[in-house]
Amino acid sequence: MFRKTVRNARDYEFTWSLNSFILNRWSFPVLFLLVTAASSLFADDQTLIDFDTEIVPMLTKAGCNSGACHGAAAGRGEFYLSLYGSRPDFDHTSIAHRFEGRRVNLSKPESSLLLLKSTETIEHGGGTRFDLDSHEVKLISTWIAQGAQRHQLRILKSFEAQPQKQVLNKVRSKIPLSAIAEFSDQSSRDVTHLTVFTAEDSSAVEIDSVTRAAKVLRPGQHVVIARFLDVVVPIVLILSADSEQLDLTNLQRENFIDEQIYQLLEVLRIPPSPPAGEAEFLRRIHLDLTGRLPNSAQIVSYQNDKSQEKRKRFINSLLESEEFNDYWTYEFSKLLRIRSQPQDSVGAKTYHAWLRRELANGTSFAAIAKTLLTATGDSHEVGPANFFRTVGGPREQAEFVSELFMGSRLRCANCHDHPLDRWSQDDYHGLAAIFAGVKSGREISYITGAEVVHPATGEAAIPRIPGEQFLESLSDGRDDFANWLTSDQNKYFAKAIVNRIWKRLMGRGLVEPVDDLRTTNPATHPVLLQLLADDFVKHDFNLRHTIQRIVSSAAYARSSQTLPQNQTDLQYYSHAIGKPFEPEVLADAIADATGIPVRFGAASQDLRAIQLFDSKITSPELDRLGRCSREESCESSHATIGGLQLMLHFINGELLNLRITSTDGRLAKLLGGGKSDSEILEDIYLSTFSRAPKQAEVSYWENELSQINRTQERRELLQDLFWSILTSEEFRTNH
Amino acid sequence: MDYSNSERCVMKFIDRNFVRRDVLQLGSLFALGLGTADLLNLSKIARADEVGLRLKPRSKSCILIWLDGGPSHLETFDLKPDAPIEVRGPLESISTSIPGVHLSESLPEMAKMIEKFAIIRSMTSPLGEHNFGTHYLMTGYKPTPVLEYPTLGGVASHLSRSQTVLPQNLAIPDFQVGGGNLSGAGYLPSNHAPFSISGDPAKPDFQVEDLELAQGLDSARLLRRQRYVHQLSELNSFGGGSKNSFSDLDRSVELVSSPTAREAFQIDQESPKTRQKYGPRTIGQSCLLARRLIERGATFVTVNNRGWDTHNDLITRLKDGYTGAKKPVGLIPSLDLALSGLVNDLDERGLLEQTLVVVMGEFGRTPKLNSAGGRDHWPRVFSVALAGGGIRAAQLIGASDATGESPADRPVTPSDLAATIYTLLGIDPQLELKTTDGRPVRLTPHDAQVIQELVG
Repeated sequence: MFRKTVRNARDYEFTWSLNSFILNRWSFPVLFLLVTAASSLFADDQTLIDFDTEIVPMLTKAGCNSGACHGAAAGRGEFYLSLYGSRPDFDHTSIAHRFEGRRVNLSKPESSLLLLKSTETIEHGGGTRFDLDSHEVKLISTWIAQGAQRHQLRILKSFEAQPQKQVLNKVRSKIPLSAIAEFSDQSSRDVTHLTVFTAEDSSAVEIDSVTRAAKVLRPGQHVVIARFLDVVVPIVLILSADSEQLDLTNLQRENFIDEQIYQLLEVLRIPPSPPAGEAEFLRRIHLDLTGRLPNSAQIVSYQNDKSQEKRKRFINSLLESEEFNDYWTYEFSKLLRIRSQPQDSVGAKTYHAWLRRELANGTSFAAIAKTLLTATGDSHEVGPANFFRTVGGPREQAEFVSELFMGSRLRCANCHDHPLDRWSQDDYHGLAAIFAGVKSGREISYITGAEVVHPATGEAAIPRIPGEQFLESLSDGRDDFANWLTSDQNKYFAKAIVNRIWKRLMGRGLVEPVDDLRTTNPATHPVLLQLLADDFVKHDFNLRHTIQRIVSSAAYARSSQTLPQNQTDLQYYSHAIGKPFEPEVLADAIADATGIPVRFGAASQDLRAIQLFDSKITSPELDRLGRCSREESCESSHATIGGLQLMLHFINGELLNLRITSTDGRLAKLLGGGKSDSEILEDIYLSTFSRAPKQAEVSYWENELSQINRTQERRELLQDLFWSILTSEEFRTNH
Repeated sequence: MDYSNSERCVMKFIDRNFVRRDVLQLGSLFALGLGTADLLNLSKIARADEVGLRLKPRSKSCILIWLDGGPSHLETFDLKPDAPIEVRGPLESISTSIPGVHLSESLPEMAKMIEKFAIIRSMTSPLGEHNFGTHYLMTGYKPTPVLEYPTLGGVASHLSRSQTVLPQNLAIPDFQVGGGNLSGAGYLPSNHAPFSISGDPAKPDFQVEDLELAQGLDSARLLRRQRYVHQLSELNSFGGGSKNSFSDLDRSVELVSSPTAREAFQIDQESPKTRQKYGPRTIGQSCLLARRLIERGATFVTVNNRGWDTHNDLITRLKDGYTGAKKPVGLIPSLDLALSGLVNDLDERGLLEQTLVVVMGEFGRTPKLNSAGGRDHWPRVFSVALAGGGIRAAQLIGASDATGESPADRPVTPSDLAATIYTLLGIDPQLELKTTDGRPVRLTPHDAQVIQELVG
C-alpha cells in the first residue's frame, strides 16, 4: 500500500504538468468528466477486466499493434507492442511498467498516458484511436482503476466467425458478420466488436465498419479474414452468377475430382465447356506427361485406335515411359533448384541422376524428402547431399525447406510472428536451429552444438519442429523434423506437393501462390485439396498415382474453348486453362518441329533441353526463351525476358530463322524430297499443332501458294508459313 | 483528396488499344507506299476531338533511377553528422549550394546543383522486405495476393499519348527489381511491361539485339509473316487471350521497320564529351541512353542500378567501390556522376522542365550500423530525390528524427509519392482502370495524397 502511494505521488507530479499543458484544450474537461463518471461506476465493480482477452484485442482492433505502428519490431515513439498482440506478457509490461510506469496512472486513470495519447488529448502521431466517450475508453480506465494487472483470467480456446461460408444469389445483399470466442474458464463470449474483419479484395466485398455487415459486389468466391487475438479465420462468401440455375448431375464423373469441381460450378452457375477433342487431348496429355509434342506416328495410331479403354491405356503407357522420367525430373529439378556451383558441376550432375533414378523407380515422395533432409556425405558422390548446397545458411535453409515441403512462408516469422499464419519467431529460428549443425561445402556433415541466435532473446534459439514442440535431444534434429514432416498425419507435406502437381497439370493451383498455404489463404476447392492429399498419403506418397488421378478426370479433359458464360473464369476449371510452354519445353518443341536441335554449352548435342542437369550451362537460346536460373524459386518468377524482346528475336534472331532455312531442317528436307504443297502442309501441321489442317486452312494456303510461280518464291512462302506457325499462340501453348 | 479542381486532371486518356488499331493498319499502309509520318498524321486527325479535354501535363516523361536493394538514406541524402558514431556511420557530410542543406561527401557534384532538386526526407512504409517494398514504391499499392498492380511505368505507358514507335516503358539494362517478381504490367496488358534493353550501355560493343532485319528477310516478307500469324488465329479460332502476343508481334514489326527507333538506341552517336559527363560506369551510360529515349518520345525509362542492399561493409560498396581504391568509385560516387550529368544535360537541352527525374529504392537502412559494418532494411524512414518535370525544386520536404529512425515531420507514403508522380505526368491519380475481368481499380489507394509542396 505504501509503495503504491509513493508511486502515485510521482505520477501526480507528472500528470500535473500534463494537465497544465492540456487545460486550454476543450477536450480535457470532457474526458475528465466522462472518465471519472466511468471509474466511479466501475471502480467497485467486482468483475475484473482481463488484460489478455479484453484489452489486447481492443488495441488490435484500433490498429495500435500493427506493423506500421507500435507493433513494429522497433516500436514507435519508444512504445513497443507485440505484432497484433501475439505476446500479451510483453504488451502488459510495456503498458504497465515501462516508461517508468507513466503509461498508466492508477489513482487517476483518466490521466494515464495510454488514454491521453490514444484519444489524442495530447499530441499522438497515430491520431485519434478512441473517442472520448467510447466504450473502449471506459473499459481501459476501469482496467487501470482496478490496478492495471494482467490477471490472466482465461485463455482463448477457440474462435469461430460466422458465417464460415455463405452462398448468395443477389449482389449487394447484406450479410451480418459475427464472432464467438470460447475461453478456458468455460465462458463463451460474443467478440464481434473485438474482431477485425478484412476483405481480401476490397473491391469485391465491402464491410461496414459500424454494422459489420458484408456486401458482395461481384460474382465469384471471396474471402474475408476475421482476426481475434492471435487467431485468424477465413469467411468464404460466394455470389452466384446472375443466370439460370445449373444442373450438372448428368455429367460424367471420372473420379472424386469431378464431383468437387461440378459442385462449385453449380453453385456459381458457371457452365463447363464440353470435353476436348481427341487431337486436343492427345497433344495436352503428351506435353504434360513428357514435355514434348506427340510425333505423327503416335497421332495417327491414337486416331486409329477405336477401343473403349484407349485413353486410359495411353495415359498408363506415358506414365511408364522414359520420357515421363525425363520430364518430371526436369520439373522436380526446378523445384529443388538443381544447378551447378561455381567451378563445380559434378555435384549437380550426381544430384540430378539420383533424382531421376528415384522418380523412375517410383520412390515415395516421403522417402525422397526424408533422404534429402537428412543427407550427409560427399556431394560429388551422394546426390541428395547437394540439397544442402542449394541455399546458404540455416535460416535460408529453414525458409527453403518450409516453402518447398510445407508450402508455408515461414520467412515472415524471421522478424516477428507471422501475422496471418500460426508461425511464430520460435518456429522460424527453431527450425533454423535444426539446420545450424549442417556444414556445407563439397562435403556435407552435421555437427552438434551449432547455434542460431533468436533475435527476441539474443540467445541461442531452441531447435523446434514448427508449430509443434521444442527438441531436447542433442542429436541431429533433422531426423525428428523429417519424421514429423513425412508422417501420414502431417498437415502440410502432402497438400503442398499435390497442390503443385495440380497447378502444373491444371494451370492454376487450388491454392495460389503455391508456397503460401495457410487457413487465411483458403483453396478455391478446400475439400478437393484435402481429398487429393489424403489420396496421395493413402497411396504411399506416390507421385505417379496423383498425376494419374488428375489427368484421368473430366476436368482435365475439358476443352480450352470457352463459352460466353465461362470465358472470364480462370479459377473454377470450367474450361481447360492454356499453359504457355516452359522455356526448355518450347526450345525442344522448336527443335523437334524444325529438325534442328537446341544449342547449349559443350554438352552432347543429342540431349534435349529438359534433360540438362545444369540450369547454368551456357545457352543464349535458352536465356532468350527465359529459362529459370534456379538461383531463387522458379515458382513465382515472371520471365523478365519474353514479350517484345522474345518477339524481336523470333523476327530477327537465329532461333527460328536459322532453323526454318537450314538445309538439314524439316522444311528443306520436305522440299528436297519433292513433296506436294498439301503433303508439306499436313506434315508441318502435325509436327507443330499435332493435328491435320482444317479445310479452311488448306484452302487459304492453297490460295496463297497459287499466286506464286518460281521455286524460290514457293520456298520463301513456305518458310514464312512455317515461321508464323512457330510464332502462333496455338503452337506455344499447351491448351 | 484535397487538391483543387484546377489541379485535378480532367484529361481523357486514349486507351492504348486505340493506338494499336492504328498500328494494325501499318502493314497495309506500307504496302501503299505511305510512310510512318503519314500514318501519325492520320492518327492525329482521328484524335483531334479529344485534345480539348486535356490539361497540359507538367512533365512529358519520367526517368526513374531505381537503386535496387534499398539505398541507405544515412549515407546519401539524409546524413546525421551530430549523431553517435554507430548511427552517423563512416561517411562525412558536406555543405551544398544551398546554405544549411547537407549531403553525403560522396555526392559532391549533386551538392553543387542542389537547387535543381527536391529531397523528401520523410518517406515512410511498413514493408521491409525487398519484394514487398519494391511493389509498394513502384506501384503505389502494398502487394496483395488477389491482384497484381501495374507499376508507374506500366500505367504511364498504358495512358501515354506519345506517338513514337519506341516502347513507351523501358528498363536499362533490365527490370530485375526487388528480387525479380514484378512484371511491371500488373493487371494491364503485358505489353506495358518494361522493354528491357538487356545490355550494358557502358560496354564499347553495346547494342540492342535483334533490331536489324535478319539476313534474307525484307519488309515485304516481314509483313507477310505478320499477316500469316493473324490469319492463323482467325482460321483456327484459337483461344481468346491472343491479344497480347499479337500486340507484341505488331509492335516488334513496327519497331524493326522504323529507322528512328533503332537510332534511339545508338549511344555511340553521342559525342565523347557528352558521354564523359555521365561518368564511365553502367549507371551513367544508362542515364544517357535514357535521355536519348525520352528525347525521342519514350514516356517512362527505368534505370535499374543493383547492389544497394548493403548488409555488410558499407563503406567499400557505397563509397570506395573496391578495397584500397584511391579514388572512390562505389555506388554513390557513380550515382553522383550519373545524376548530375543527366540533370545538367537535360537542362542544357531544355528538356529538364518536361522530364521528371526520380531517384529511389524500396526502403532505407537501419539507423545503427550492424556488426558487419553494414546496415539492414529500414522502411520506417528513408529519402527520395526528384528533379525536373515541373516540380518546385530547391526544397527539402519533411525530415527524419535525430537518428534517422522515424519521420520527425510530414510523413510521406509511397502511395503519396505515386499520386504525385502521376499528377506531374498529367495523370489523375484517382483515375480508374479496368482489370481483365472488368473491375475498376483506382491508380492510387484512396488515402493517397499528392505532395502539394512539390506540385503546387
